Amino acid sequence: MKNFELSKFLGRYMLLILFIVLCVVFSIMSPYFLSIGNFTNIFVQQSYVIVAAVGLSFIMISGGMDLSIGYQMSLVGVITSSLMMNFGVPTYLAMGVGLLVGAGLGLFNGFMANTLKIHPLIVTLGTMTVFQGLSYTLSGSKQIINLPPEFKFFGQGYIFGVIPVSVIIMLIVVLGAHFVLSKTQFGRYVYALGSNQEAAHLAGIDVKRMKLAVFSICGFIISMAAMILFARAGSAQSSTGPGTEFTCMTAAILGGISFTGGEGKISGLVVGVLLLGVLGNGMQLINLGTYLQYVVKGFVLLGAVGFDIYQKERARQVKKAVEN
Amino acid sequence: MTKEVLTVKNITKYYPGVVALNDVSITFKQGEVHALLGENGAGKSTLIKIIAGAVQPNAGEIIIADKSYTQLTPHLSKALGIEVIYQEFNLLESLTVAENICFGENHKALVDFKAMELKAKSILDMMGVQLDLKKQVKYLAPSQKQLVEIAKSVSKNAQILIMDEPSAPLSVSEISKMFDIVRRLKEKGVTIIYISHRMEEIFEIADRVTVLRDGRFIKTENIKDTSIKSLVSLMVGRELNGSYPVRNHPIGEEVLRCENLSGNGDIDINFTLHKGEILGLSGLVGAGRTELVRLIYGADPKEGGIIYRNGKEVDIRLPKDALANGIGLIPEDRKLQGCFLEKSVSWNSSIANLNAITKNFVVNLKKEKKQAEEYCELLNIKTPSIEQMTKNLSGGNQQKVVLAKTLAANTNVIIFDEPTRGIDVGAKQEIYNLMNSLVEEGRSILMITSDMPELLGMSDRILVLHSGRLAGELSRKEFSQERILELSSGLS
Repeated sequence: MKNFELSKFLGRYMLLILFIVLCVVFSIMSPYFLSIGNFTNIFVQQSYVIVAAVGLSFIMISGGMDLSIGYQMSLVGVITSSLMMNFGVPTYLAMGVGLLVGAGLGLFNGFMANTLKIHPLIVTLGTMTVFQGLSYTLSGSKQIINLPPEFKFFGQGYIFGVIPVSVIIMLIVVLGAHFVLSKTQFGRYVYALGSNQEAAHLAGIDVKRMKLAVFSICGFIISMAAMILFARAGSAQSSTGPGTEFTCMTAAILGGISFTGGEGKISGLVVGVLLLGVLGNGMQLINLGTYLQYVVKGFVLLGAVGFDIYQKERARQVKKAVEN
Repeated sequence: MTKEVLTVKNITKYYPGVVALNDVSITFKQGEVHALLGENGAGKSTLIKIIAGAVQPNAGEIIIADKSYTQLTPHLSKALGIEVIYQEFNLLESLTVAENICFGENHKALVDFKAMELKAKSILDMMGVQLDLKKQVKYLAPSQKQLVEIAKSVSKNAQILIMDEPSAPLSVSEISKMFDIVRRLKEKGVTIIYISHRMEEIFEIADRVTVLRDGRFIKTENIKDTSIKSLVSLMVGRELNGSYPVRNHPIGEEVLRCENLSGNGDIDINFTLHKGEILGLSGLVGAGRTELVRLIYGADPKEGGIIYRNGKEVDIRLPKDALANGIGLIPEDRKLQGCFLEKSVSWNSSIANLNAITKNFVVNLKKEKKQAEEYCELLNIKTPSIEQMTKNLSGGNQQKVVLAKTLAANTNVIIFDEPTRGIDVGAKQEIYNLMNSLVEEGRSILMITSDMPELLGMSDRILVLHSGRLAGELSRKEFSQERILELSSGLS
């Protein structure tokens, strides 16, 4: 029984423990790791990932999946930049349009999932390719350079000279999402949908409408992530964005957002992203090659998921033993 | 015709809390069609599982070809020539007809498709049926799939073939075709154990019939020496004990009426429910009871018909519309449809009416807690705390959580689909008392149940369904198990 308690404790705080262990190891191995400059760096670098992951977490908690978010970012970024640079649309108006386009792309995903009645994983596999094609068509595979300084401010600027704007946006999104998911009626419905869709349907929740809402919210938040990313780069091209979906998924799963839905918290998600960020940063500092970094990250994900499954299986067996 | 091929002797099987089979002995003869008859829970399925080796008995013996076994395994049972065709087909959907028929016989590295198709064809010829051997099974109609199942058993040289409700997926003409095949097999000396609810079929195809009731052997008779009436009385011959709480309140005006409600397969029904009434909904599995209540509740789309609530026409498209009109559903499968198992008791009890405890989009946790505690008290939900995950509760308490969820949505017409399935005796009694206090307070209940004593003990009135249609309506004075069975078998 005592053993079980220990494993329960580990299960609950494993991510945090892993995080601390990593920090200690990297501090010993590299003198540059443990510094305010480096940590600010990690935060700035990861802020767009955290924002994107928050968007995805709405869908994952509701039991769905979105593979298209990387190309959603690409498409939104290209549209926004193109409006600003090629059509002379004022910066803030272009950004507003970009956010709406993002919500629209999400809505489209939700609509397709509802109409075709197939799992969002498959739907977004299709729409991902559509968005990719649209993005490259619009950009003509060319880079749009010299984005306006007001736009770049969102990725590179500082408030009071010390606080990065991207981090502030990230904090607002995280706190907002945390509030919505944990405190509101809508948040309850998101969890209900992921936890048992049929029971949610019978409890009077409009499942189709919820899916549309969840996908639109994701699209909206994803375009905020796109703004940060493109503003930081200072230029726009279609290859910016893709790949984010897998980082976000990894972080979400690491952070305890169940693949089948109904479970998970934003706080866990943030730690998940930061863990991946610290891992990447630390491996960079100790001069581990980029490709080896992929290997390590992959194994970290497998380990975390494996441990989670082990935990659940064990809890099930204990329960069975008690019942018999 | 007289050689005994299979005898079960003094077979007893108990599960925790239930005796499924109690000292059952039956003899099956070579080349006979032997029907097994009994209500739900009479022990038929357990018995065939024991013969198939899927379940091991606690006592008794199984004698096959003069050899006695205390238990069988699925492998041994097959080796002894026993094959079972279950209600749910056991076919590999993406393989062809021939591959399915001959599945598991080829032990060589490469499959000899020619030989396989030849063999499959010879079996189908013997059965007198024609099927495209190269067609994938998933493209077959249910009746054709069943032919493949039968052919599969024949290819295994089955000496004893157990058929569990084989006519359920078939149309009338397909049934007579299946009977032809059964007769052919019988001529070849195969013993067929035939399980069916449908009385008329048994009289058409069976040579002998054995009736089981509540896990006990009642009687084996030659089909020509018996009648439907006498079999029905053997099946139901239990005395009803008076453990159902008595109600003495008046039944009021109409609260719910359905006119030509149709959809969800082949449903087309008219009925009325009154204030303070428990209306029982009876019928065989597949008669369309659950389908009907899901239509009323808006869980599945309607094709036609009108629902009146307190005399006014209402438009119910989704469950939320039903809830808004005060109609609640306690679904058949509380684990899959009723509860959010990974969520707490209080979370579950508020989910169907969060509006009541939400202000400015925010759920008021204090009110939620108070409400959950009130329902735990009112319904006597036994849980260490309202924060407990519902998956850790017993079946009866889970059912009460689902009830709390429904009541919290201010419903006063409550549909119970199998309210006490899988719930232990003590908790059953509690659920009955709760249902009674609900109707005494002026609510109304529509109750689906396959449990005959429950149906007769709890209902004020009973509707019997057959093939999606109303087969009859019985008032309390007319209640009889025989009458209900007759109506639900389609005999009027």
